[in-house]
Amino acid sequence: VDGCDLSGRFAVAGLGVTDQGIRLGRPSRDLRREALELALADAGLTRRDIDGYIGTSSEVFDDIRHLGLSPGFAYTMQAGGATATWSVLNAIGAILTGQATTVACLYGVAISGGQTARADGSRGGYGTFSYGYPRLYGFVGAGMTHALHARRHMHRYGTTSEHLGAVAVAQRAHAAVRPGTLGFGQPITLADHQASRMVVDPFRLLDCCRDTDGGVCVIVTSTERARDLGPVPALVLGVGTGHNMRNWWTGDVYDLHDDIAPAKAIAFGQAGITTADIDVAALYDPFTISVIMQLEAYGFCGPGEGGPFVASGATGLGGAIPTNTGGGQLSGYYATGFTAVVEALRQIRREAGATQVPQAEVALVSGHGGNGGIQNTWSHATLVVGVDR
Amino acid sequence: VKPRDLAPDELDDPFWAACRQHVFLVHQCTACGRAYWPASTCLDHGSASMEWQPASGRGEVFTYTIVHHAYDRSLADRLPYAVGVVKLDEGPFFHSDIVGCVPSAVQVGMRVHVTFETVDDETTIPHFTPDTTDQP
Repeated sequence: VDGCDLSGRFAVAGLGVTDQGIRLGRPSRDLRREALELALADAGLTRRDIDGYIGTSSEVFDDIRHLGLSPGFAYTMQAGGATATWSVLNAIGAILTGQATTVACLYGVAISGGQTARADGSRGGYGTFSYGYPRLYGFVGAGMTHALHARRHMHRYGTTSEHLGAVAVAQRAHAAVRPGTLGFGQPITLADHQASRMVVDPFRLLDCCRDTDGGVCVIVTSTERARDLGPVPALVLGVGTGHNMRNWWTGDVYDLHDDIAPAKAIAFGQAGITTADIDVAALYDPFTISVIMQLEAYGFCGPGEGGPFVASGATGLGGAIPTNTGGGQLSGYYATGFTAVVEALRQIRREAGATQVPQAEVALVSGHGGNGGIQNTWSHATLVVGVDR
Repeated sequence: VKPRDLAPDELDDPFWAACRQHVFLVHQCTACGRAYWPASTCLDHGSASMEWQPASGRGEVFTYTIVHHAYDRSLADRLPYAVGVVKLDEGPFFHSDIVGCVPSAVQVGMRVHVTFETVDDETTIPHFTPDTTDQP
């Protein structure tokens, strides 16, 4: 099968997004159930229409009973922030091979209270994630691993704390006018960023996102079927993956944010687009450096130019590439990879409110994750969605 | 906290055992000489030719961060501290803290070498510290 043949043949027909925030006080399974029900209502579908389930929860078997589903298959996948795009990719594969017609990709966590027990008995959010033996040295959490990338970028290209701050400020400007985000009504300045306390140098507090609770459901079906359902379908134009282990072997793992090149090549190839065709970007952004390095890797600016590019206003509304128009993870909410998926769908569905990009026809989504060991073996996933022309 | 608690992988036991003798090992392919850490499988020659071999215990700081936030209470009295990745002269990366200098003195490219801290009879932990003699 030629990947180009898939472009535009599958679509997101339903989107469900619960409240997203800190300590919502609700069990994760209820967040998932609400997300499913919102997505079903959005699509005009019933529970019995869902014949495939892809989750990110390890509680899948209890989950589908709680959800009231009777799918032909149900499985979970876990590649951290790449999972959202992986779930769409695998939903398409399931439909294409006749396993299902209508797949619910479902996410929902309640992690922000710091009560999630880890395998090693510790408790805490993503900030205290252990990567194995580096824990001996007090090396824990995604902040430190991403700081390693930021330090290299600063060393190689002269990127500054102010450049990182420009990302935080730009995204907060988007969140400030987006109800339901952590940053709603609270714009920040570069001075605020510079005054925020140092956490893991070079990251200040405002360079980091926060864990949030929330649920998201995305219903994937054929475009043909989606056209008969409720909302305007958002078409999947391309999807690609890469894996950072290759860069671990070559020693490039800290100089590259992820293995973006192959993910981009596959997804853009399927979609038949170049970077210039993208109207709006939703990039995975747990930390400010992630936006800078991905803008470079996706070709919106040259290598090393990401900091000045953002500082110039290029990622704001009216800029060269409006980015993370819902505030992203930094200022919006942290639904792992689903934050970016939701925002791209909002843009394509013309639901982005005050930060709607006029004439947005093609949106880029990225995700990375799957932090399993010392080499930060992050999967990267690229998703291109677009309007039904 | 001991290595076996954090990296409960018996494949790396020879490394931690050698640390008790103040010897720093890398996992090396005897067919091509490529060194790896932690225990790995040679990309070109598979697992059969892999052996633990003494290494120089020297390298340079490839990247680092200075930690100002106590992610758990046991780390609070160490703040601030520098942790990062050392590129060993044999090639592999090794995560470590950088000790023996103030954190703000750590730089990318700084030459470092291993020192060993004996925690108890079972546990010796390698740390990296600047080579004051051959800094750029």
